[in-house]
Amino acid sequence: MKRLSDRIAIMIVCVILGLMLAAQFKNVQNVGGNVSLQRAQELTTQIQKLNQDIAGQQNLIQELEERLADYESAAQDAGKLNETMYRDLERARNLAGLTELEGPGVVVTVNLISYQEWGETGIIRNVYHEDLLMLVNELNAAGAEALAINDERIVSTTEIRDAGDYIVINTNRHSVPFEIKALGNPDTLEASLMLLGGVADSLGEELEIKIRRENSIRIPKYTGLLQFDYSVPVQ
Amino acid sequence: MWLPLIGILIGIILGMTLPINIPTAYSSYMSIAVLAALDSVFGGIRASLEKHFEADVFISGFFGNAVLAAGLAYIGDRLNVPIYLCAIFVFGYRLFNNFAQIRRHFLGLLRKRSFIEDNLDK
Repeated sequence: MKRLSDRIAIMIVCVILGLMLAAQFKNVQNVGGNVSLQRAQELTTQIQKLNQDIAGQQNLIQELEERLADYESAAQDAGKLNETMYRDLERARNLAGLTELEGPGVVVTVNLISYQEWGETGIIRNVYHEDLLMLVNELNAAGAEALAINDERIVSTTEIRDAGDYIVINTNRHSVPFEIKALGNPDTLEASLMLLGGVADSLGEELEIKIRRENSIRIPKYTGLLQFDYSVPVQ
Repeated sequence: MWLPLIGILIGIILGMTLPINIPTAYSSYMSIAVLAALDSVFGGIRASLEKHFEADVFISGFFGNAVLAAGLAYIGDRLNVPIYLCAIFVFGYRLFNNFAQIRRHFLGLLRKRSFIEDNLDK
């Protein structure tokens, strides 16, 4: 370490090392570094616990719904006037997506197209929320009576939005493949999607879109909350 | 001896203030490169203490080892061979070795001094 140039060289090298250390440190702070096996196990048990919680909550929902049905049938028994009210209520519930529905319709599956290049598997592009919105829009326009994506019932408050690698529907995260079920006239629904230059045509260039007619599709009910905190009906 | 430490400090402060960001995908290669660089600097300190420090060897070792380690780790990832384990092992081993030599050097200095003081007392 006698000569000046040596000292400068060492100094520069050490500065670079410091830069590398700082950059790596910042990176690890941002990302959280490698996930250790122990942490992964911890998270797995947490997920299992939360899944059990979800199952418990779903049981609770079912229980409460049964009680509600009891009340409704009790009201129905009460008289003729109540019966018409009950019918109205049932209609409103169907419209709001609070009942499980069954009938003919189409099932549209949206998947990625993967290809092989230089021994690596790639995809043309991901599925974005716009693609699903376009399909849902088209199906609604063709007179679909009920829609569900990956068994998430589409209701008036349903959101379809990108969140990182997932698409959030009814606050639940979903990823490919997407399966859109639509109840309605299968001919009309299929024709509306298969139009020349239509949605399936344009999306089909970059995504794998399959349309399947079915005689009997089950569409689950909406299990979230429908609540009006701010709005009141105008009298 | 103090030059490297001051240099590292300046580097860390610069790195924390400047907006340098490595893509997350390359984070693992960067970590290997950092390990190799740390080993080189410790090796340099040791060499300077043992009075056979050569700047060209030091600098080429610093950049060469870092690039080689990161590059091998990258190739290993492509081929699904965990070469980064080898890099961690080799550079980690040398790091500890270098540190042990530096420690011995300073302990030797201390011993020599106390030996002289003991003899002066008599």
